[in-house]
Amino acid sequence: MAEPELLLDSNIRLWVVLPIVFITFLVGVIRHYVSILLQSDKKLTLEQVSDSQVLIRSRILRENGKYIPKQSFLMRKFYFNNQEDGFFKNTKRKVVPPSPMTDPSMLTDMMKGNVTNVLPMILIGGWINWTFSGFVTTKVPFPLTLRFKPMLQQGIELLSLDASWVSSASWYFLNVFGLRSMYSLILGQDNGADQSRIMQEQMSGAAMAMPADTNKAFKAEWEALELTDHQWALENIEEELMSRELDLDGMFSKELPMGIF
Amino acid sequence: CYIFQKGCGRKDCHHILNSSPSFDNWNVLIIVFTEMRDKLRKWREDNHRNSEQIVDVGEELINEHASKLGDDIWIIYEQVMIAALDCSRDDLAWTCLQELKRQFPGSQRVKRLAGMRLEALEKYEDASKQYDSILQDDPTNTAARKRKISILKAQGKSAEAIRELNEYLEQFVGDQEAWHELSELYINEHDYGKAAFCLEELMMTNPHNHLYCEQYAEVKYTQGGLENLELSRKYFAQALKLNNRNMRALFGLYMVSSHI
Repeated sequence: MAEPELLLDSNIRLWVVLPIVFITFLVGVIRHYVSILLQSDKKLTLEQVSDSQVLIRSRILRENGKYIPKQSFLMRKFYFNNQEDGFFKNTKRKVVPPSPMTDPSMLTDMMKGNVTNVLPMILIGGWINWTFSGFVTTKVPFPLTLRFKPMLQQGIELLSLDASWVSSASWYFLNVFGLRSMYSLILGQDNGADQSRIMQEQMSGAAMAMPADTNKAFKAEWEALELTDHQWALENIEEELMSRELDLDGMFSKELPMGIF
Repeated sequence: CYIFQKGCGRKDCHHILNSSPSFDNWNVLIIVFTEMRDKLRKWREDNHRNSEQIVDVGEELINEHASKLGDDIWIIYEQVMIAALDCSRDDLAWTCLQELKRQFPGSQRVKRLAGMRLEALEKYEDASKQYDSILQDDPTNTAARKRKISILKAQGKSAEAIRELNEYLEQFVGDQEAWHELSELYINEHDYGKAAFCLEELMMTNPHNHLYCEQYAEVKYTQGGLENLELSRKYFAQALKLNNRNMRALFGLYMVSSHI
């Protein structure tokens, strides 16, 4: 069955497609600045800072331990991993997962996140749907099944219309996700208008309880450190140095006259 | 001449400074201003400690061109204030501090600068109280802790300074500046074993820095004993491998080898 090629009024392009792009973009920028205003300071405790640095030190010991003498490496490994009083064996941090109920600041953070991101999206999506209804806006380049019709063709009641022709509401949603790269170009990385990142964070962030992590992180570091061996990088360094010539070009400005020897 | 080195002999350079700004020279003056600002920025980013030059350039910038600087002026105030403390220009430091206090009333950073000025005036108890108040508000503030330790060092109480620095490093294990400072303090106390430990930390975090290898080798050489001399030779060789032109390492290698 031949697919009829619809010719859309160019007024649609001028008065629908472009305004929706502008609206989405401007709303995104406004959201970014509002999120900056509403940001609450994250206070780090001394313990958290200290723990993160200890973990970094242990990791560096594993990676670069080969540059220090064997004795020193073993000394540090012993300090971390010793059975009786090693650091990783002994330090247990209090495990308090920050659930929204117990930690009021987390609750307000979640609220703010919802308000700044989800609410405007719903409001503006609905407004656009109401304003720009009754006509098709654009055609998506890939064929869609009929199941998508009620979702993407909100105001249009034609049964025979291809599902690839979508209404303005779906164009709005396309914009919301598509302008993400524009935002990072204009507002710099890590901007508040980046919705998909926030949704990803919400999916994975619910399980991110930091204090419990430190215990597990310590255990993981202990195991990794047990497994590391010390291969001294300086084993044959003198031979290596002697085998190559030193590069002393351009160091001496002029030849000194030889003395009376 | 502030921009080019003193006595550069460029004809147009003297021309700018000696004549009063007329319309012909306006463009040239603006160019001079941007050069000054860029120089200050470069010194700030490279962490140069050429305080005399910073004071000269910065004072001129602040007095003549304050309006053109915009928001840059606050960081320039900070940079010039620290340089002024180095040159014991207390008047300049005081004006900078007043401006910063007016703009950022509750700021920790400004409080630290106020503490540094008290240190420069040798009012160590007042400075110490100032830093304590910063730490009460924010226990993770590393700058205030380090200033307290440097007060102890300035007063010559090196044993206490070493102890405080050790406690600081127990909590903030990753602070390389602090490790280096501790190694220097230990060397002054002739405790070479502990200095070697600190330098090992530094070598681990910066494996390609030939200067740490060389310092470590020197400490080991000073410690003496056959094992340490062998280690020292290896580390001098490593420093040379990392940078062929390190004369000090070459000389060290020669000395160690002739002693073994």
